[in-house]
Amino acid sequence: MRFSGLCSAIVLLMLSGLAQAEQSGWALFDKVQTAVRQYNFDTSFVVLKGGKADTYRWIHGRSGDNEIEHLIPLDTNGVDILRRDAQVYYLLTDRPAFVTEASSIAELPALLFEAKDNVSKLYNAVAGSSSVMSGRSAQLLRLTAKDSGRYHYWLWLDDETGFPLRIDTLSEQQNALERWLVTHMQITAEFPDNLNALMAAELPPAASAVAAATPQSSHQLNWMPQGYQQVSNPADIPQLGGSLLSYWLLSDGLHQVSVFVQNAQRMPTQAYRDGATTIYVETQNQLEITVIGPVSIDTARQLAGAVR
Amino acid sequence: MSLENQDWLSAASDNQPLTKAQLDSLLTQAEYQDTLQRYHLIGATLRRETASALPNNFADDFAASLADEPVYQLQNDRNLLQRIRMTVSAAANGRWLQPVAQGAVAAGVALMAVFGMQQYQQTGSADSLSPLPVLQTQPVAGFYTPVSLSQTTVDDRFAEQEQQAMLEQQKRLQALLNAHRQQVRVLEQSQQASQTENSTVNNEQQ
Repeated sequence: MRFSGLCSAIVLLMLSGLAQAEQSGWALFDKVQTAVRQYNFDTSFVVLKGGKADTYRWIHGRSGDNEIEHLIPLDTNGVDILRRDAQVYYLLTDRPAFVTEASSIAELPALLFEAKDNVSKLYNAVAGSSSVMSGRSAQLLRLTAKDSGRYHYWLWLDDETGFPLRIDTLSEQQNALERWLVTHMQITAEFPDNLNALMAAELPPAASAVAAATPQSSHQLNWMPQGYQQVSNPADIPQLGGSLLSYWLLSDGLHQVSVFVQNAQRMPTQAYRDGATTIYVETQNQLEITVIGPVSIDTARQLAGAVR
Repeated sequence: MSLENQDWLSAASDNQPLTKAQLDSLLTQAEYQDTLQRYHLIGATLRRETASALPNNFADDFAASLADEPVYQLQNDRNLLQRIRMTVSAAANGRWLQPVAQGAVAAGVALMAVFGMQQYQQTGSADSLSPLPVLQTQPVAGFYTPVSLSQTTVDDRFAEQEQQAMLEQQKRLQALLNAHRQQVRVLEQSQQASQTENSTVNNEQQ
């Protein structure tokens, strides 16, 4: 009697501990999302994909209800990405600007901007240990996928501000596929000076949303990974022209996967990886199916096999 | 010394065989020798053989002439090898040699096997201890790739096409990747658009 009482007490303690860890995990998640939305900051970060590294400068300012964000890819010439509230501008030197409506820049980790409800459907959040990173005390937040086939995320947050210092994307086997790493960070109380001009600048209006007429496709997708849904009206892809027979865009709220169907070009079945993005090509029945997205190669193969 | 048994001496002078004891006593006792000499003389006289071609003292002359002869040192000119060969050739005919020789051959083979094996093992262990050769001709992993003139020419012929095909393929994949990224960029907008479209459709229906 006594023993079973003790056991149940221990189990209760552990459960409550777990629940608390879960809660504190989501609290940390809130903290990081608030940090990237609310603070005025000027940072640089690198994205490490295998042997490749992309460097960016990221400036964010908030004055009242207005939000402005400037992302500068340092490795690519002639591209500036600017977001003013819900308008994202891709400012190109040699071409007219490309404008779209979005509440976040797609080149930044989607995890930092996606609503917590969507993320908590797919992931468990567990607070990890503290460590020192770039001279700052960092708190680890582990986002573990609920379904197999989805990648895990490990985030290190600045203890003081909650600002993300490092985000690792891990495969199911816990191998790091991509690392997002802040190299320099400055959080200020004042609105950054160099954003003032951009805040006031005259920018072209967003192109009217062209919801492309869904191409009459003779193919069907019979299977989707757990949690994914087909995006009903994906935008037109004019640059691929008539070579595209069918196209599906799948989304689980956080990740997007594209499935392209084209005429076969005698390409062998092959898979590439660009950081966490898998590119899988398969030829079947005179059709060439390409799956691109942050999924494991097995999932991509299953998706390609589901095209009829 | 009793002379009762001098009959055997008389018989010996008549070329009768002697026993070993009789011969010994004859050789050791001068009386017997004298007696035997006398018996022979008597016999010779009876057979009228006294007239001898040689004088009685010819042995003395012979000894004297031998004494005048120079002394020759006799050399043993057969060397050791020849003597062994002689011994062996003599022994080869012996009944004991063949089994002994067979045994010796068998023992030799056994010894060769034992010592030869040891030597082989020694060379093996020495090989494994010695450092790796500088030029390793065997690939560490995988197989040898066939090397032939015809293959390289075929390669040359198709290398350009292959490279072209690979470039083309990379271009296509890059285009698809860009298209995917573009889709992700405009996702929110297109979703909004489809929602508004749906709502307008609904409104129209209402």
